[in-house]
Amino acid sequence: MPSRKLRRRPTPSLSEQLIFTAIGTEWRIDTRRALEPAAVDAIASRAEEFDRVWSRFREDSAVSRISRHPGRHTLPPEAVKLFGLYEKLYAATGGALTPLVGRALEEWGYDANYSLKPQPSVAPVPRWEDALEWDGTAVTTSGSVVLDVGAAGKGYLVDLIATVLAAHGLTEFTIDASGDILHRALPETVEHRLRVALEHPLDPALAVGVATISDRALCASASNRRSWPGAHHIIDAITGRPAHAVIAGWAVAESCLEADGLATALFFVSGAALQERFDFEFVRMFANGRIEISADFPGEVFG
Amino acid sequence: MVTVRLKIAAVALGGASLVAGLAGCSADAATPAPSTAAATPSTASSAEPTTPLASGTAGAGAGVSAGTGGYKDGSYSASGSYNSPGGEESVTVKLTLQAGKVSAVTVVGNATDGNAVRYQKEFSEGISAKAVGMDIATLKVDKVAGSSLTSGGFNDAVEKIKAKANA
Repeated sequence: MPSRKLRRRPTPSLSEQLIFTAIGTEWRIDTRRALEPAAVDAIASRAEEFDRVWSRFREDSAVSRISRHPGRHTLPPEAVKLFGLYEKLYAATGGALTPLVGRALEEWGYDANYSLKPQPSVAPVPRWEDALEWDGTAVTTSGSVVLDVGAAGKGYLVDLIATVLAAHGLTEFTIDASGDILHRALPETVEHRLRVALEHPLDPALAVGVATISDRALCASASNRRSWPGAHHIIDAITGRPAHAVIAGWAVAESCLEADGLATALFFVSGAALQERFDFEFVRMFANGRIEISADFPGEVFG
Repeated sequence: MVTVRLKIAAVALGGASLVAGLAGCSADAATPAPSTAAATPSTASSAEPTTPLASGTAGAGAGVSAGTGGYKDGSYSASGSYNSPGGEESVTVKLTLQAGKVSAVTVVGNATDGNAVRYQKEFSEGISAKAVGMDIATLKVDKVAGSSLTSGGFNDAVEKIKAKANA
C-alpha cells in the first residue's frame, strides 16, 4: 500500500533519492536531478493504481472481486504483459509457477490478516487450464479463484514506474524495490554500471556474489524473509507446498517483469531449462549451500 | 548456453545408465570470459526435469527403479565427449552415491585445446561450488539484491508468532 510519506536524501553519483513505501515494500529511486512534484505524484498514483487491481490483501481490489465472483472480468491493459509472462513461466516450469496460488498462500497462512498459521489441510492448487481462461485484458475464472501475482508483480510495477519516469524525460535512473532493481543509463556516463551484492539468503549481512549490470534488470527471490513457522511465500503449485530445494534465485534480464518472474521460476526448474525459452542470466542457491551461476552471468559468486 | 550431454554408464549396475545433462559448460570460443557453471547434483526435485543427475533412466532388466533414488550406493565413473570449436574433447565424470543421493562429483577434463582446457577447469570447479558469504560492508556495491524487505504488518505478525512459540 503506497504511503504518501515520500522523502528525499542526497547521495553521490545519481545524487537524488526518492524513498517511499508501495505494495507493502520499501522503494528507492535514484536520479540525477530531484524529481519534480508532478513526477512524484505520478509515481505514487501508478503504484496505488497497481495495488488497487492486483493486491489480494485489499477487499476493493480486482483480484478480491474475482475471488468473490467467478466469471469474466476485464482488467487494465497491464494484464496483457503480466499474464503473458505468467503463461510462459507456467509452461516453462511444468505448471509449478502459476498465478493461481493465492488460495494456497492463504491456507498456508499468508492471508490478508497475516495469520501466518497454516491450515490443517491445504487444497491443491488448481491447474491453469481448469480454472482460468485468459484473453488479453479479460480473464474468466471457474470456481473461487484467488490470484496472486507475487512472483512477478513487483518487478512489473518497477517497469511501469520506469515508464512514468521516461514520460517525465528521465533517461538515467535506478529503481530499487527492495531487491528488484532496474537500472537505466546512458553508456557514456559515469553511472553506466551498477554493482549489486547478491544477498546471502540466510544472512543479510553477507553476500554470496556480486553482479554488475548496465541498463538491465536484476531481481532476487529468496524464501527467507517472507517466511513463518512451517512455510514461506514461494509455493510449488505441483506439490502445493513451499519450495524447499532452492533457497534463492537471481535473474538478470532486459525487463524487471521477466527478471522477477524468472528469479522465482529458478525455485522450480533449472536455469538452463529456462534459458531455452528466455534470454537471461542467473545465479541460484540450494538449501545445501551449493550455488550455480550461468555462463554469461555479469558477475561472480564467491565459492 | 551449450548443454553437454554425457551418457554415464553406471558400471556397478551392469546395464543401467544415468543420463546426465551437465548444463552450463560453455563451448563457445567467442565468449571472452565464461564463468563457472555448476551442476547441482544432490538436490533432486520432481519438478526439475533438467536438474543434472536428477533424471535417471534404468536399462531393461537392471533391477532398479527410475529416478536417482533407485540407484545403488557406490562410486561411478564415465567419460563423455563433445565437439568444441577446437575439435572433439572429452571429460571424465566420477560421482559417489550415498543413500541414493549424489554425495560427491568430480569432473576431470581431458582437453588438449587451450580454450577447452580453461572451460573444463572452470566447469569442474563450478560443479561443486559451495556458496561462501562475504561481508557486504566490505564490498564496494551500489545496491543489494536480496529478498524483499517487508512492511510492518508482516514483520509484526512474525514477531508475535515467535513470541508465542517461545512462551
